[in-house]
This record gives sequence, C-alpha cells and structure tokens, in this order.
Amino acid sequence: MPDGADDGKKSYSMGIDLGTTYSCVGIFKDGEVQIIANDQGNRTTPSYVAWTDKERLLGDAAKNQVASNPTNTVFDAKRLIGRTFQDPIVQADLKLWPFRVVSDGSPDDKPLIEVMYQDVAKKFHPEEISSMILTKMKLTAEAFVGQRVRNAVITVPAYFNDSQRQATKDAGEIAGLNVLRIVNEPTAAAIAYGLDTKSKEKKTKSGEKETNILVFDMGGGTFDVSILTITDTVFEVKATAGDPHLGGEDFDNRMLSYCISEFRRKHKSDPTRNQRAIRRLRTQCERAKRQLSTQTSVTIEVDSLHEGQDFNLRLSRAKFEELCMDYFKKAMEPVSQCLGDSGLPKSQISDVVLVGGSTRIPKVQELISSFFNGKQLCKEINPDEAVAYGAAVQAAIVSGTGTEEVENMLLLDVAPLSLGIEMAGGMMQKLIERNSTIPTNKSQDFTTAEDYQDYVEIKVYEGERAMVKDNNYLGKFVLTGIPKTLRGVPKIKVTFNVDSNGILEVTAEDMKTHRKGEIQITNEKGRLSQRDIERMLQDAEAHKEEDDLARGEMMARESITVYMRRTRKALEDIDSEKILKRDRERLEKKMEEVDLWLDEHSNKATKEEFEAKQRELESAMNTIMLKINRSESDFWEQQAILPENEKTIEQGGYFLDSGLDIRDLIEDPD
Amino acid sequence: MAPAPNLKSADFYEVLGVARDASDAQITKAYRKLAQKHHPDKNLARKEQAEEEFKCIAEAYDVLHDPEKRKLYDRFGKEGLQGGVPEAGAAGMSPDQTNMFANLFGG
Repeated sequence: MPDGADDGKKSYSMGIDLGTTYSCVGIFKDGEVQIIANDQGNRTTPSYVAWTDKERLLGDAAKNQVASNPTNTVFDAKRLIGRTFQDPIVQADLKLWPFRVVSDGSPDDKPLIEVMYQDVAKKFHPEEISSMILTKMKLTAEAFVGQRVRNAVITVPAYFNDSQRQATKDAGEIAGLNVLRIVNEPTAAAIAYGLDTKSKEKKTKSGEKETNILVFDMGGGTFDVSILTITDTVFEVKATAGDPHLGGEDFDNRMLSYCISEFRRKHKSDPTRNQRAIRRLRTQCERAKRQLSTQTSVTIEVDSLHEGQDFNLRLSRAKFEELCMDYFKKAMEPVSQCLGDSGLPKSQISDVVLVGGSTRIPKVQELISSFFNGKQLCKEINPDEAVAYGAAVQAAIVSGTGTEEVENMLLLDVAPLSLGIEMAGGMMQKLIERNSTIPTNKSQDFTTAEDYQDYVEIKVYEGERAMVKDNNYLGKFVLTGIPKTLRGVPKIKVTFNVDSNGILEVTAEDMKTHRKGEIQITNEKGRLSQRDIERMLQDAEAHKEEDDLARGEMMARESITVYMRRTRKALEDIDSEKILKRDRERLEKKMEEVDLWLDEHSNKATKEEFEAKQRELESAMNTIMLKINRSESDFWEQQAILPENEKTIEQGGYFLDSGLDIRDLIEDPD
Repeated sequence: MAPAPNLKSADFYEVLGVARDASDAQITKAYRKLAQKHHPDKNLARKEQAEEEFKCIAEAYDVLHDPEKRKLYDRFGKEGLQGGVPEAGAAGMSPDQTNMFANLFGG
C-alpha cells in the first residue's frame, strides 16, 4: 500500500469518540467502519494519562497503575475542558479528584492540572491532557492501517457549549491532528443506527420513508438527548438537549460516598484523606455498578482498605437505584424538553436508541420506557462503539473517502444553545436561536449611544434565559475605529456565524464606509491563543521523543527479561553432565547479579545499559553453548536444515548479537 | 407547478422554489432536495460558496417550516420577522437604567 498520507493517493480519516472515561476510534476502510482495538486488545481505551518517575503512560497502562500513583494519574479532562477554575462544577469535582487542579492566575481563570514528573511539578491545560488521549487513539489507528493518519473527526456532547467545543478542537490541533469536524455524539450514534437499520431492512425504493428517532446518550460523564428525522439519505437533527455533567461517574461517586459512610460507621475511622484507599474503593464501586446491571445484588470487598481494616458491603440493586434516583429522574427533563422543542408528539417517535455505557442501567431503561408509555427500546447498536462508528462515517463523508452509499448521506446538525448579546437593561437579545440548523449566520446592526463614541462593546452570551446574568458569558467583542460622529449615526453590521462545528465566529462591518478593515474585533472568548496552541504542540512533539525513548527502554528491558527467563529454562533443560560446573556457576552468578541489578535499576536504566547487561549474560551463556556444541557431534546436522541467514543463536542461527559468526570460533565438528 | 428554486432571490418561497400555498410536506421535500445539492459537505471542492448557498436555503426553510414565522412573513415580509429594532449595545448605559429594566423584567 502506498504511503498515501503524503502522495494523496489513499489517506485515511478517523473518527474519535473522546469520552470522559473511555475513548474509542474507528476508521472507514475497505467499504466499512472498523472499530480499532488498542495495543492491549481493547476496543475502548481509558481516557487516562499518568506520569511515573520514568515515563508518561496513556490509556490502559495509566489506568492500571492508578491505585499506586493516584496523584499523578489524570482523568476526567473532559469535565474540565472549556470551563473556568471558579466554575461551580469544577469546584465540586475538585474535591473528588486525587490529582491537583489550580487556576492559571490569569483573568481568564483557566484551570491547570498539576502533576509531579521527575521531581518537577508540571502543569497542563485540560486541552493538553485531551491531546495526549487523542494521540493515543491516533497511534492505535495508525498501527491498524500501517500509515500515518492525521485527519480526524472528533465527537463532543451535543450540549457542549462554544468554549468546550473550541477547546476540544484545540486539543486536536495540539495532538497534531487536522480536525475535519467536531460532531455531536448523539448525531454520530444516529448514523450508526441509521446504517444498521438500513442494512437490515432490504432497501425498498418506495419513495421517501421518514422516521423520527430519539437518541438517549448517557456515558461516563455527559448526557445528551437528540431527536432526528431520518429519510433515506438525510439525517436531520430536530432538537437537542442535555446535561454536560451527568453520567456514570456521578453514580460511582454516590456509591463511593455511601461506602465511605458505611466504613466510618463500622470502624469509626475516616479513609477520606487516604487517596490510595479512596481510589481502590472507587474502582470496586465502578465494578459493582456494572455488575448491578445484570445482577440484583453484589458484594463490594476491599482488603485492608484503611488502617488495616477490610471493607465488605452487600449492596442491592434497589439500594443503588435509591442512591442515584435523583440523577435518573433529572435525566428525564432533557428528554421532555427535547421532545417539546422538536414539536413532535411522543407517538411520532418510532425508535428510542440507547447509547453510552450508563444506558445499561435497568432503572434508566425503565424510566425512559415508561416515559414513552412502555415503549420497547432499541438496544441494537453497540452503546460503547456507536459514537466512534458514526464519527468514522462522518470522517469518510467530509474527506470524500467513503463509498457511494456513505457519500450520499447528509447530516444536518443544530446549535444546542441560543447565542445572543447583552442589550439595554441586561436583557438577552438572541441572534441565533437554539436548535438552528448549522452552519448558520445572523446579522444585527449596531449604532452608538453617545456622541463621538468611537467604539462599541458587545458582550456575547449563550443560554435560554431572558437576562444575560442568568446565561453563560462567552466573552466580549470590542469594535473600535468607528468614525466619530453624532450618536445613532454610525451603522455597524455585526454578523454571528456558527460554523459546522457549532463554533461561533463574529465579524463586523461599518455599513457607512463598507470597509471591514475599519472595525477591529477584540476576541476575548477565554480560549487558548494560537501561540499557546503552537507552544503546546511543540511540547507534545518533545514528549513524543521522550515517549519513544521510553519505548526503546521498555523494549530493551523486556528483551533482557525474556532472555533471563529463557536462559533459566535452558539451564534446567540441558543435561547437567554436559556443562562444566565452573561454567554453570559462572552463569548462575551472572544471572543473580543481573536480577539484583534489574530490581534496582529497571526503572532508571537507559536502553544502552539494558543492552550491555544482556550482552554480559549472552557471553556467559554462549561459553556454555559452545562447549556443549563441541561435544555434541550431531549439533551441526540438526542445525543444517536452517537456511543460511543472519539469525542469532537465540533464534537458532549462528550469530552473536555482536555480529560474530560462532562457526568461526569452533573447530570443524568433524 | 412551482417555479425552479432561485437561491439569489430575496423571497423565501422563490429560494426553495415552492408555491406560496405549498404544504409543509412540499416545503420540507424541497428543502431536503436543495440541502443535498448545496450543503458544503456535498461540495468539498467549493465549500465556502456552498456554505453561503446552504445558509440561504436553511433560513428560508426555518421561516416557512414554522407556522408562526410563516404567517408573519406572509403578512409583513422579512421586516415582520425582526422582533423590533434593537438599540445600541450596552455601551453608554447608566446603572440606574439597568436596575430599572432588571426590576421591570423581574431578573
């Protein structure tokens, strides 16, 4: 296959579901979507990044060591991205995270995640953490197709606001990706559903068949509801609603608090400040929650949780439901709102599609089903992979690399929140209504309120409330350079443009002069500057070298460990009479020495040091092998069937790692 | 028979190429057909131009598909859709005026 990334012959575009707790990547290849397993063989990858003394770990490797390294293991970046440090949601989450989050101290009040790496405190923006996870997903895709993949569609919750979308796009750029599109998760899932249904129903070419579906997408950290109308090729989002901070993790936290209070009651001691204990307990809570989707009760057990006391608790499904009931009920509000916005009666929804791990919870299913008067729910599509699947299809569509069937599809998505400006009296003047089909734009004329005023300040908000103070402040745009004249005379046309990613851009034009250049817009949306992004991109590249280095060391460490194991096995297998006592002792002593050395150095040694140690072992082993070979007359006959090549002794050939041919050292066996 | 769609027209019916008494189903059908043809994702080689075309189509559909907006448009034209002419931005507002409005609208 040609290296298409550069010659334009065949380049792939991937779809990445960047989740709060897990991420998933898919690619459109050979006419279908492939969901790609990572190097651990898992089709979803934990959205975790960790720093050990030695290296940075991503995905499964990071999550697996979380209990032993809680303060330097970062997750939940999606709950921080595009928010300020003082955001009440961030402040509440802070108390539950074992890692440190601080403010960047700037007027933007951006949160920074602080970890210790090689005795130095390092601070990262949430965008950087997300970019590392994206990098991991990219590597997974690249390993699968065997070439570089730069183009990506990244999904976000439909209810993500402007800053969160922009920050996610920035994360993609920091990861060195070409972000083709930011796509809403429930919309992506609807594509998976649509293609699945279409392939099952033998396509009857009998005119336009129209179906309305509701996608209920509850994952690890976010919750969305979208209603779509699907015809043969058009997927049209009618309305969307949700809660960008509601999901499986909230249920874990409820269980965790309950377990802690139970532990306190029983043992009169408080494990709250014991990070390791909390992490171990949380892991067990998450596991119990999953089990309660199929079992009616579970036992949560952690040995020696805190101060030598074991934790043991029997938890019923009913108790779990009681603990989380307010969350479950809260999830029904967006369903009702979305339905209202769509203008469709319940009876017109022909399918309710469940997406996201949390929709496995029986109570959640029960509540939705009863909301729709006992309707059968659609569980046909894989709730963990549907979003990445749809994203991969969208990637193929917007890069023009799909099949005809896929390229005929059209997705019409909407903006989730109204966008507007502050008017006299603190009122919100909406320019773009929520659920407007994107891309879209709206213009508004402005004038000055005072004589000789040469600038106008426009404060931009998103949300549905009448007063701007109740909505989310996005930033302000200052128009300067307005020709000085009497108030009310200038006429400045300000245009709000929401692009296909759901991201707002503002442009302005002086209608008297028609010179766009006259008006300067100061963008203060609190996002990363282009310079920030470039610096982070460079940091990420530097990290890549560090990672590669670590990988080289890991390989070398693995190699020596394997060699040790094999040598041990060989020593057992070889007839003891054939080895001189002195040689055996020498090798055993060497192995013992290497064992000790590994214990002490395996986390710090360089690739070269590992290799040097392995060579020492090899030379001790080779002395023995040579002697055995010399005494065994049939040795060469056995080996003769092997082709003359450059295999090492280990591989059954004749060469030492140094490149020396051992046949040169031995006398002719005959 | 309805006229052919004309994206450059200032009239929403003409943009979608539907008769003034077209049913909602006819309007929707015309919109989807035009969206398929003009959406930027379907015109990768001329994205920016297509985006402007699509926005015209979507705006026309937004109005004609909504019974309230369509009624206003039929009676008063585009002017009827503008909810009053807004004053200047917050610049130059005095604090007591702000309070007055805040009280008026009950925060």
